[in-house]
Amino acid sequence: MYLNLLEPTPLPPTVRANRVHVGSATYNEIVEFLIDEAELLDTLKLTEWSELLAPDIEYNVPQRLTRPVRQQDGTTIRTVQHMHDNLASLMLRVRRITDTRSAWGEDPPSRTRRMVSNVRVYKTDKPDEYKVLSYLMLSRSRFDFDYFDLIPCDRHDVLRKDGESFKLARREILIDQSVIGTPNLGIFL
Amino acid sequence: MLTRSNPVLADGTKISDLINLDTREVKMRVLSDAELYQLEMEKIFAKTWVFLAHETEIPNSGDFVQRDMGSDSVLVTRDREGQVHVVLNVCTHRGMKVSTLDMGNTQAHMCIYHGWAFKPNGDFIGAPVEKECMHGKMKSKAELSLTKARVAIYGGMIFATWNIKGPSFDEFLGDAKFYYDTLWCRTTKGMEVLGPPQRFIIRANWKAAAEQGASDGFHTLTLHRWLGEIGPYAKKPGQDGGGADLTPEMYGIEVWTDHGHTMRCIDLDRKVRRITGKDPSELSPQEKLQVLPPPGLTAEMIPDVVSRLSPEQIQMMSSNPPQVGNFFPNGLFEFIYLPTADGKVVGAMALHTYVPMGPDKFMFMNWILAEKDTPPEQKAAMLRISCQLLGTSGMVEQDDSDTWPHQTIVAKGAMSRNITLKYQAKFETGAPEGWPGPGHVGSGFTKDDTNWSFWTYWHELMTSGS
Repeated sequence: MYLNLLEPTPLPPTVRANRVHVGSATYNEIVEFLIDEAELLDTLKLTEWSELLAPDIEYNVPQRLTRPVRQQDGTTIRTVQHMHDNLASLMLRVRRITDTRSAWGEDPPSRTRRMVSNVRVYKTDKPDEYKVLSYLMLSRSRFDFDYFDLIPCDRHDVLRKDGESFKLARREILIDQSVIGTPNLGIFL
Repeated sequence: MLTRSNPVLADGTKISDLINLDTREVKMRVLSDAELYQLEMEKIFAKTWVFLAHETEIPNSGDFVQRDMGSDSVLVTRDREGQVHVVLNVCTHRGMKVSTLDMGNTQAHMCIYHGWAFKPNGDFIGAPVEKECMHGKMKSKAELSLTKARVAIYGGMIFATWNIKGPSFDEFLGDAKFYYDTLWCRTTKGMEVLGPPQRFIIRANWKAAAEQGASDGFHTLTLHRWLGEIGPYAKKPGQDGGGADLTPEMYGIEVWTDHGHTMRCIDLDRKVRRITGKDPSELSPQEKLQVLPPPGLTAEMIPDVVSRLSPEQIQMMSSNPPQVGNFFPNGLFEFIYLPTADGKVVGAMALHTYVPMGPDKFMFMNWILAEKDTPPEQKAAMLRISCQLLGTSGMVEQDDSDTWPHQTIVAKGAMSRNITLKYQAKFETGAPEGWPGPGHVGSGFTKDDTNWSFWTYWHELMTSGS
C-alpha cells in the first residue's frame, strides 16, 4: 500500500482519439512553448523558466531497468527515481544556481543543447490541460572536455492553458539509459 | 612487472613510494594509475568484504540482482531455502555473462549462448541434450559450477568476498561494529530499500570518492557551502551564525578503525536545542531519542531500539550519533537530519557504493532506505528529500560528482602526479571522558584522521604478501 505513497501521482492517460493534429493552432502554440522553454534552459534563464511551472507541478525522472521483452512493465521504476520534485524543490534547485555563489556542479555552467522533436498533443479530461509527448536529445558540454554527454529522453508532460500561454503542470522524463552516463542531473530535462 | 608479494610498478615505483606514512601524504598518481588499479582489484576487491545489495531487493525464492564486485560481475541470488548466494556472473563454458538482466526471478539461470544452466547457488544443472554431454567427461558437474563467493549478511546488507578463508565479516568490521549496530541493527524488523539503487557513471577513479567517503568533513565548508547560503542549513533571519557559516556542523566526534571504516558523529544536544527547543541536560538518553528520533525512526519506535542495544550504545546514540561514515573499501552511508521549511525534521538514510570500472571511471550506486516500521508517509518524505539532496540529481552530491573527475585528470600530469593528497590535520584531543565506544576517537572540529585511516588500510592491503 505504501508503495503508492512513494510514487508520484499517475499521469493522465494518452487517448489516441483525442489527438490534437499537427499544424493546428493549439499544436503550434504547444510546440512554440516547448521550443521557447528549451531556449530558456539552454541560455540559463532559469528564473524565467521557473515562471513556466504550475504551483502543483510534479517533476519526475524514473529509473529504468534492463529486463526481458515480456517484463517491460517492470522497466520503469517510480519509487526511487533520479529526480522526484515539486515546485518547492525545483525552485530550490533554481535558486541554488541563481542565488548562491557555490553551486559548483553547474558553476561554471554546462553548455547544453536541447533538441525537442516528435511532439504529440492530446486533449485530456480537463478542457484546459493537454497531454504532450516529446523526444528530447540533450547534449551537455562541460569545461574543456573534448567529449559531451548525450542524454536521450522521452518526455511526458501535462501543459495547462494559462492566458495566452501555458504552464508546465506535470513532467515525467524517461531517460533511455539504465545507468546514467552524465555525472549528475544538475540540469533540467 | 608486477610481483604479488612486493608490488613494484613498471617504472620501478614501489607502492611504499606513493604514500608517506610519517607525513600523511599520498601521491596523486594513485588516482589514475592502471597498474595500481589492477593491483587493487586483486589485493583489495578480491580480499575484503564488499557491499553488493540489500536483502529486501531479493525477498523471494529465485530473486536475483546483477551487481559488480570490484571489476567482476556477480549475481546476488536467493535459493528455495531462502539462502542468499553471490556467484560470478560468468558461464563456466565459454565465458558469456550468465545473466544480462538487472534483476529477475529464476531457479535456473540459463546462459543464452550454449544453454548451460545454473542454480541460484551456482551449481551446474546441465547443458542442452543431456545424453550427448556437451560439457564433456573431463570435468565433474561440481567442477563446472559458477565461482561462489563467501557471503555475510549484516543488518540486511549483503556483503561478499572471494577471500574464502580470510577474516570473518565481524573481524573485518572490528571496532566499527559497536557504532554500526546502532544504525543498521537498531530495530527488530530491520530496514528495507525503497526501490532499486540509482546508478550513474563518474569519469573518476573510485578512490577520489572513497577517500572523501571516509568521513571527510572539511569539504563541506566549501564544496557544499550553498547549504548555508540557501539550503536546509541556512540560518533564518535573526538567528545566530550568519548566512553561509556551516562551521557549527563541523564539531563533533570522529571515529576511525584499523580496517578503514570511519564515521562522523554529530553533537545531538545542539540539534535537540535547535530543533526541539528543549534543554537536553534535563532529558534522559531515551527521552532525547524520543524528542528527536534518529533519521528514519519515530518516538514510538525508540523502546524497541533501546531494548536491542547496550546502554553504552544508547549513550553514544543519544549524545553523538554517527551521521556519515564508510564501509571500506567503497561504501558510504548517511543518516542525516534535514530541517524542512515548515520547521520539522526529515531523516534521510542512504547507502552508496563507488564501483570501480577502470582507473578513470566508476559507477555511483545509491540505495535509499527506511526502517520497515517507518510510517508510510514518513518513508515517502524521506524518499523525496533523499532524491533531492543525494545521488543522481542531489543538490548536495552533484557538487561532489563534478569534482572527482578533475582530480583524476590531474593525476595523469607528469608533474601533477607527484603532488600529494595531504591528511595532516590531526586530532590532538582523544575521546571525551566517558566515551563509551571503541576504536580511535577524536573530538572537536573535524580532522583528517578518518580519511587517513582509509589510506593506511589501503596501503596495508596493497603491500600484503598474499
